[in-house]
Amino acid sequence: MARTRKRDLTVEEQLARGPLDLPFLMLVVMLTVIGVIMVFSASYPTAINEGKSATNYFVRQAGFGAAGLAVMYFISKINYQRFRWMSVGVLAVSILLLVAVLIPGIHTERDDGVRRWIAVPGIGTFQPSEIAKVGVIMYFSARLSKRGSEKPPRISRRSRWKGPYYLLKHAGFFELVPYGAILLVIVLLMRLEPHMSGTILILAGAAAVLFAAGIHMGWFVAGGGLLLILLLGMMAGYQSTRILVWRDPWDYYATGESYQIIQSLYTIGSGGLLGVGLGKGRQKFLFLPEPENDFIFPVICEELGLVGACVILFLFALLVLRGYWIAIHARDRFGALLTVGVTTLLAVQVVLNVAVVTNLLPTTGISLPFFSYGGTALMIQLAEMGMVLSVSRQIPAAKQG
Amino acid sequence: MKSDKKRQTGRGAANLVILKRTLFLMAVCGVLLFIPLVVRLYQLQIVQHQELESRAIDQQTWDKEVIADRGTIYDANGNVLAMSAEAYYIQLSPHEIEQRQEEYRKQVEEANQAETPEEREALMPKYDEPTNESIAQNLAEMLDLDAESILTRLGRTDSWSEVIKTQVESDQADLVRAYAKENGLSAGIYVLPSSKRYYPYGSLAAQIIGWVNYNDGNRGAYGLEALYDEELSGQTGRIVTAKDGTGKQLLYRYEDYEDAVDGMDLHLTLDATIQSYCERVLSEGIEKFEAQDGGFVLAMDPNTGAILGWANSPSYDLNEPRTISDPNLSAQLQEILSDTTLTDEEKSAQQTNLLYQQWSNKALNQTYEPGSTFKTVVLAAALEEGVVSENDTFTCTGSVMVDGYPQPIRCSDRDGHGTQNLARAVANSCNPAFIAIGQRLGTSTFYDYLEDFGFLSQTGVDLQGEPSAPNYNLIWPRDSFTHVDLAVASFGQRLQVTPLQLITAAAAVINGGHLMQPYVVESITDADGNVVQHTEPTEVRQVISEKTSERCRTILEQVVIPPGTGQQAYVAGYRIGGKTGSSETLEDDHTIVSFLGFAPANDPKVIVLIAYDNPKPTGPNSNYTSGMYYISGGNMAAPQAAELIPDILDYMGVAKQYTDEEKANMDVAVPNVIGMTLEAATTKLTDSGLEVRTVGEGATVTDQTPLTGVAIPGGSEVILYLGEEKPTDRVTVPNVQGMNRDQAEAALANVGLYLKSTGLTVGSDVRAESQAIAAGTEVERGTVVEVHFIQSTASGGAGSGL
Repeated sequence: MARTRKRDLTVEEQLARGPLDLPFLMLVVMLTVIGVIMVFSASYPTAINEGKSATNYFVRQAGFGAAGLAVMYFISKINYQRFRWMSVGVLAVSILLLVAVLIPGIHTERDDGVRRWIAVPGIGTFQPSEIAKVGVIMYFSARLSKRGSEKPPRISRRSRWKGPYYLLKHAGFFELVPYGAILLVIVLLMRLEPHMSGTILILAGAAAVLFAAGIHMGWFVAGGGLLLILLLGMMAGYQSTRILVWRDPWDYYATGESYQIIQSLYTIGSGGLLGVGLGKGRQKFLFLPEPENDFIFPVICEELGLVGACVILFLFALLVLRGYWIAIHARDRFGALLTVGVTTLLAVQVVLNVAVVTNLLPTTGISLPFFSYGGTALMIQLAEMGMVLSVSRQIPAAKQG
Repeated sequence: MKSDKKRQTGRGAANLVILKRTLFLMAVCGVLLFIPLVVRLYQLQIVQHQELESRAIDQQTWDKEVIADRGTIYDANGNVLAMSAEAYYIQLSPHEIEQRQEEYRKQVEEANQAETPEEREALMPKYDEPTNESIAQNLAEMLDLDAESILTRLGRTDSWSEVIKTQVESDQADLVRAYAKENGLSAGIYVLPSSKRYYPYGSLAAQIIGWVNYNDGNRGAYGLEALYDEELSGQTGRIVTAKDGTGKQLLYRYEDYEDAVDGMDLHLTLDATIQSYCERVLSEGIEKFEAQDGGFVLAMDPNTGAILGWANSPSYDLNEPRTISDPNLSAQLQEILSDTTLTDEEKSAQQTNLLYQQWSNKALNQTYEPGSTFKTVVLAAALEEGVVSENDTFTCTGSVMVDGYPQPIRCSDRDGHGTQNLARAVANSCNPAFIAIGQRLGTSTFYDYLEDFGFLSQTGVDLQGEPSAPNYNLIWPRDSFTHVDLAVASFGQRLQVTPLQLITAAAAVINGGHLMQPYVVESITDADGNVVQHTEPTEVRQVISEKTSERCRTILEQVVIPPGTGQQAYVAGYRIGGKTGSSETLEDDHTIVSFLGFAPANDPKVIVLIAYDNPKPTGPNSNYTSGMYYISGGNMAAPQAAELIPDILDYMGVAKQYTDEEKANMDVAVPNVIGMTLEAATTKLTDSGLEVRTVGEGATVTDQTPLTGVAIPGGSEVILYLGEEKPTDRVTVPNVQGMNRDQAEAALANVGLYLKSTGLTVGSDVRAESQAIAAGTEVERGTVVEVHFIQSTASGGAGSGL
């Protein structure tokens, strides 16, 4: 099929062929490359210990990285306006997957009974919650970008619910009902897995989109308060040990409960200012659990030192700032909200991961974007970046003069 | 463009909200949230870096010690006094042993599940179940330990390290290793190398060398071992290898290797031979004189301050430092153990006290009143100051009154020494004369010399435990040094010095006036033999002039020449000088008898200080021991010096010097005259200072008694046989003990034997103490019998400061 000539395109189609945001792209590529290298350094002792080739994890991660970058480029080529209608499908699929993962036979069997992963032959495993994150952000952005046209439900003037109705209407309650319902379903489904860290991230992404869209601040205060109460309630159970361990890990070293976080602190502390050198870390030799995964950042700290760790954090910060910059300059409200959601999700994930490994927060399983080993997660991550790049293509060129 | 316009109108307030809120998120998520992370990383990686890193390294590494060989201690001639050899220690890991036991049970279980008996046989362990009881039993047998205590330690199953025995010899270690291997306990029972200290000479110079305490990380506990511990012990090395989280060694991640640096070697000035002479003389004397508290013998090179020998008693075997072997201490130990009134704690405390006694270096750690030996220093000071000269005379009436002291101060000779010149006054050890000399010096000058001779400071010897100085409990402070103090100090009483201070000061008196810093360690060499440190003789100060020193030597030589108080130290040819001393103590009938001697008097090569502590008198106020030895330095220490000093000088190869009188009394080797004419033979013998008696009528000598080469005293008769057969009958040696020399010679000549006198060979006032061939022995005619003479009357007495 012959390529359509430019003058035959609609304005939107012309804009979708605009240039990618180069700084954002460069940052993503850099972080992906560094991440893959760090996976190699962090994973080879584990690989050897598991009787695999030392490069086993590295090769896989590099493959997914390359594929992910290709996917990202492909997605960036899509006119993001199409994401508006796609979002419904993505959300629906992710909810279906969240249900499916609970069904025996579909989720992977684990000793601890946690049902988070679905195995895909040839690729490995993936978490439906990763897709749910994207789905929620896409759907919320799409719907919220058309906020103004939504009509609240009507009610008879004589109804005795008239009072509360106007109160709720005034507070914007009816507008929030669908979002709340979706989140409630997802939270409940993920509670069954269980998957707290994933829940937190989905809520964070959703909240960011809602927040940017201009939802009344009161709802966030209320939602935050509710979450806090829920969290405190949950802490009464097994989570409470987690809190105690967090507050004084040295006390629990002997019992083994704080082994992971103490090892993480050892690893980070060993690095000093300049680190022991790339590949020369010692803690990954079966001292630090999951050095190639959630705890890859300590390995970076050990091998590259404070300087290296700060450089990585700086790159993340730049990527996040550039993401918001794209959001601000986005052509329309949907692009802006979509970018805010993806960017905030990324920022929260980075900050939570680093905060956990440095024991600023109690341990919870949050991976580090671009770094943690996991092919599907990396690909989904890069796909999200592709969506941001797609938005960046349609940024109107600065006006002359 | 209609739709665009519509959208634009839809913007406005809503879009402004989005912009504002996005900017807010940008600030929070892009900047603010990262700040605590960086702060936290700084805290962990910079502030807590060392703490966390060291903890991490602790878990990442196997740290194995490489033990450095402890240095060797050599004497002046390179004889080994202390050395290290390989030994082992046995360490149990109850935790691992428990694992082995579980493995054993598991294996048995598996074997029992096997289908055929053959398979079961193959799977079954080849040894009996290693129960704690059987392990304890076996180890206890192999290592001479208590099985119960091993069992208790095996029960500590959370422990990885229980050392059950150290200093295990290699044959025992091999047994344990084999046992562990055969019973699948190689990972559980560990035989680990260490080192053990050997002292080839046993008790030789025990207090100087000291010993190593195995219970205290092989650190030196006493003597040079302790003082030079840092040099001797070297640097423990380490092998650090990386391991992974499961404890597997990461051989390809080789971390660190720190070589063990072997300890340095000490080369002492001490000479094992001289040391053994000193110890022999000391122990002989202690036995002979019944010295209840032991004694000491010091031998020093007066010109350098190098210690040549240093014997202490009581002593002990360095290889068994906690065993009491000294006879006196053993007796005390028996007394303590059999004393039923003591509790166990008291017993063990007193036992420990005995150990401290044998470990302590008496001649350095303790002080005593020097008594008359101190007069050497007073003499030197007086001569140097010119307040006396050799021509001065002193009159002694047996006692003297001193201003400020109510009672007369007595001399040893109650009847008085009469009028005597300076040399005689010293030889007589006359107290009134020395009081007069002291008064001529005056308190201030006298005190100056106390300081100059080093009695108010430490000698600075490189040994442990020299008392701090000045100690005004031992010597008066200058401002309270009165005339009465001066009077008693002049003959060495009421002041306390260490034996080392005394011999060092006395060395200065005779070596030309140089107060030397005594030392024991000649040099320190590293493991490759490079000299790391060499001790040069250090002169503290010149106290008196060369000339004064020479005058002192001349006067002190007179002390030893009969009839001086030190005459029993006289040995012809050695030119021994010295001074006797008998020191009072605070206890009744407790005397320390001593002799300070040096030789040769014209050019001293060695100075010795011999002392016996507390010879046992026969009863209260008795001056004799049960062996009828008069308790005094002159009668006890001096004759021992007569044995020691010639031995040392001979060993050092110092040429003998005889006076004409001595030559006349010297033994003559009988020349061969057989085959000569009587005339020629007679001439030859008389030329040698011998007399001739003939038997038979011939003209040629056919035989002679004694035969050629035998040494007999000058003037003795040689029997020449002129054709007559030489009688071959044997004669009985008579008992000559208690006789004087003339009587003894006559008694022996009577049966055809010759006398060779030793001991006090000059002077008439002697009695035979012992004879080399026991009375009643049948010997050939013409045999020479060696008889040892000692003085028969008191030369100076206890309590008189002689």
